[in-house]
Amino acid sequence: MGIIKAKGLVHEFIRRDEDNNVESITTALDHVNLDVKEGQFIAILGHNGSGKSTLAKHINALLAPSEGTIWVDDMDVSKEENVIPVRKRAGMVFQNPDNQIIASVVEEDVAFGPENIGVPTEEILERVDFSLKSVGMTKFRQHSPNKLSGGQKQRVAIAGVVAMEPKCIVFDEPTAMLDPNGRKEVIKTAHKLNREKGVTILLITHYMEEVVDADYVYVMEKGHIVMDGTPRDIFSRVDELKAHRLDVPQITLLADNLRKAGLEIPAGILTREELVDAIMKISVRADMKSIAKSALKRMENRKEAVGEEKVVFSPVTKKDPASSILMDHVNYCYSEGTAYQIQALKDINLEIDKGQFIGIIGHTGSGKSTLIQHLNGLIKATEGNIYFNGEDIYDKDYDMRKLRGKVGLVFQYPEYQLFETTVFEDVCFGPKNQGLERKDVELRAFEALKNVRFPEELFDQPPFDLSGGQKRRVAIAGVLAMKPEVLILDEPTAGLDPAGRDEILDLIADMHRELGITVILVSHSMEDVAKYVDRIIVMNQGSVMYDDVPKEVFRHYKELEQVGLAAPQVTYLMYELAEKGLSVDLTAATVAEATRGILAAL
Amino acid sequence: MIRDITIGQYYPADSIVHKLDPRVKLFTTLIYIIALFSFKGILSFAIIGVFLFAAVKLSKVPFKFIVKGLKAIVMILLITAVFNLFLTPGDVILWQFKSLKITDVGLTNAVVMMSRLILLIIGTSLMTLTTTPNQLTDGLETALKPLNKIHVPVHAIAMMMSIALRFIPILIEETDKIMKAQMARGADFEHGNLIQRAKNMVPLLVPLFVSAFRRADDLAMAMEARCYNGGDGRTKMKPLRYGKADYITYGAAIVFLVLVVVARINFPWPQ
Repeated sequence: MGIIKAKGLVHEFIRRDEDNNVESITTALDHVNLDVKEGQFIAILGHNGSGKSTLAKHINALLAPSEGTIWVDDMDVSKEENVIPVRKRAGMVFQNPDNQIIASVVEEDVAFGPENIGVPTEEILERVDFSLKSVGMTKFRQHSPNKLSGGQKQRVAIAGVVAMEPKCIVFDEPTAMLDPNGRKEVIKTAHKLNREKGVTILLITHYMEEVVDADYVYVMEKGHIVMDGTPRDIFSRVDELKAHRLDVPQITLLADNLRKAGLEIPAGILTREELVDAIMKISVRADMKSIAKSALKRMENRKEAVGEEKVVFSPVTKKDPASSILMDHVNYCYSEGTAYQIQALKDINLEIDKGQFIGIIGHTGSGKSTLIQHLNGLIKATEGNIYFNGEDIYDKDYDMRKLRGKVGLVFQYPEYQLFETTVFEDVCFGPKNQGLERKDVELRAFEALKNVRFPEELFDQPPFDLSGGQKRRVAIAGVLAMKPEVLILDEPTAGLDPAGRDEILDLIADMHRELGITVILVSHSMEDVAKYVDRIIVMNQGSVMYDDVPKEVFRHYKELEQVGLAAPQVTYLMYELAEKGLSVDLTAATVAEATRGILAAL
Repeated sequence: MIRDITIGQYYPADSIVHKLDPRVKLFTTLIYIIALFSFKGILSFAIIGVFLFAAVKLSKVPFKFIVKGLKAIVMILLITAVFNLFLTPGDVILWQFKSLKITDVGLTNAVVMMSRLILLIIGTSLMTLTTTPNQLTDGLETALKPLNKIHVPVHAIAMMMSIALRFIPILIEETDKIMKAQMARGADFEHGNLIQRAKNMVPLLVPLFVSAFRRADDLAMAMEARCYNGGDGRTKMKPLRYGKADYITYGAAIVFLVLVVVARINFPWPQ
């Protein structure tokens, strides 16, 4: 019998009103069967709300099943006397790195678990040593968790679980709130524990690229397990995955596209090397060449017919100084004059023309968030000038509040700033502050909510009850209602699942086109941005590293890698193919462009 | 201004005082406060002064750093001094202007109160400067353990204190973030009268509370997942153990109190 086994597991969330009458029942798990062998690395995929976190909480006895049974190491989890033994055997790492660290010093937090289960003092010290070593955080032993990066905090949380010497660790979306570097750190640590210590790992995630190396994958949807198999197996069923609101790594998608075009590419390609080999193998065959030619022709015809493919935005690059943002030798220092002085921005010179769609890319700490807060005057530069529509915003009689209406800024996780009793009232907050008449305020709010495609029947709902994606729409509408000329969005897709991410990005692209506003999108994902923007600004250590059209920026993929940013996967692939002697279009940055590029080169 | 307050700050240094058991430091501080409010006369005052001076020297905390902490309470000091000086009735009137008068008793009272307050602040801040908040809660928890018998949830209170200490910086950061986000939507936190300003805080406070509750919920779950089950049966990674220096300090503190009391009884001059 496996270490974790579930049979007919059902969990219902029952909502009751004040009189204890049942108001609604949500079935989060619906007859789930699971069998995990000791030492395996298991991944559970699913979009937000598919029931995967509910399943995870059963394994740790944080939730009790409504029906069915779940056994951890042969113990029935629902029995009261098994709760503590089960939690000792199955540890859990949660999503939010801040909300699971209890102590103010790293080593004390790691010791928290062993202290709870009454491990003798000398052994606690040994366990803390060894746990910190196994996640590579020994150096930070005496540090305060507040000074660590997200990835490091998650590693501390993992060490805290490892110190309890569990047989199995459940990771509940451990990377959802991290940047790409942090994500890599955490996944690497999970694999290391699995390999070296033989700990059974259950990784719950919605990032497909994280499950490539798993032994077995389950896909959940509406409380059911709808797909299961090896990663190769799962990834060869691209269309099914898409139907379950999951996305597929660019490489797998590209391989699938090529196979559908008629080329002999094996199903379920996971890595770049595999795809390069497969393409090189068929590149010498004459029959494949003719298939590629006809596929390309078909594609061209279809493109004319339905106009698929992304709409190429023609930027309105009028050199009109009266309608743009100009940053002139801007410098910014945090805590100037103290020992903690940090130069966050170094000599920034930028011109942002009206109507552009710009992506600002950089990893955490590169200065991108500081940069955008300068644009609406929330942070004042320590040196240099900023002009909006030709006026110096640091002029004594310049109206900052008016500027903030013109340059709308949507912060990261904007749903956390919602506060009103209804969605509609919350969106009214911005225009109300602009001093408009009630009638105009309501009109603005109505328009803004329509622009973000928020369903009208939910206008009077309290914002706190909505789903993550819906809340985010409301928050964006809250800024949009001020009718900004420039809309800045800081990581608008953070924490959303793949389908939610695509919806928000599509929405932003539509708003850019329909409303004719300038859009600045801040992100650390090149792949997200490449599809939409017509100019990329790469930030590194407080300076502008590159500022060009996406294709030109990706040409520097080697330099980007050095500063911890990655070009889209297909860019790498194209360069690797070129190295092997296939003359492909090197500027391809999206899957569609790459598909065409490869077909044309064959 | 806020940066000037050294009370509650920790000053890292490698000294005997830093290494003392927090229980000893709590006890000594308590003795010190008792001595401070029971002294009378210049001799007992001198004993307290010497004791404090020695403690500061041993702690290796720069004297300047401690005195900086007094800046924050200058106003309180002045008010105490002025009230004592002008409003104390006494036999010998040194100076009078209408109903305001300075008497001999008033003068001594003012001086005594001032020195008491100054010594109090220096002494207590010396404790917090040499003890991390975690050690302090740890010390309090162990020292107050007997209260468990009369159903005071000592462990829960200590746990709450240490969690609060961990989350204060996080919540400050969050406040800053929400404030900026609402300012980006045209909110104004700086202008208007008191009532308006209080009203303007709603868009800040509601999200802050919502987020604090969410965090509390998450944290409770994370603690449970790590087998937290209250204080019973818990062990410690660094249990508090008395060393030689701790016993010596206990002795010194008691000798100190006896000296002050003896000096007060035998040599209570001036009043």
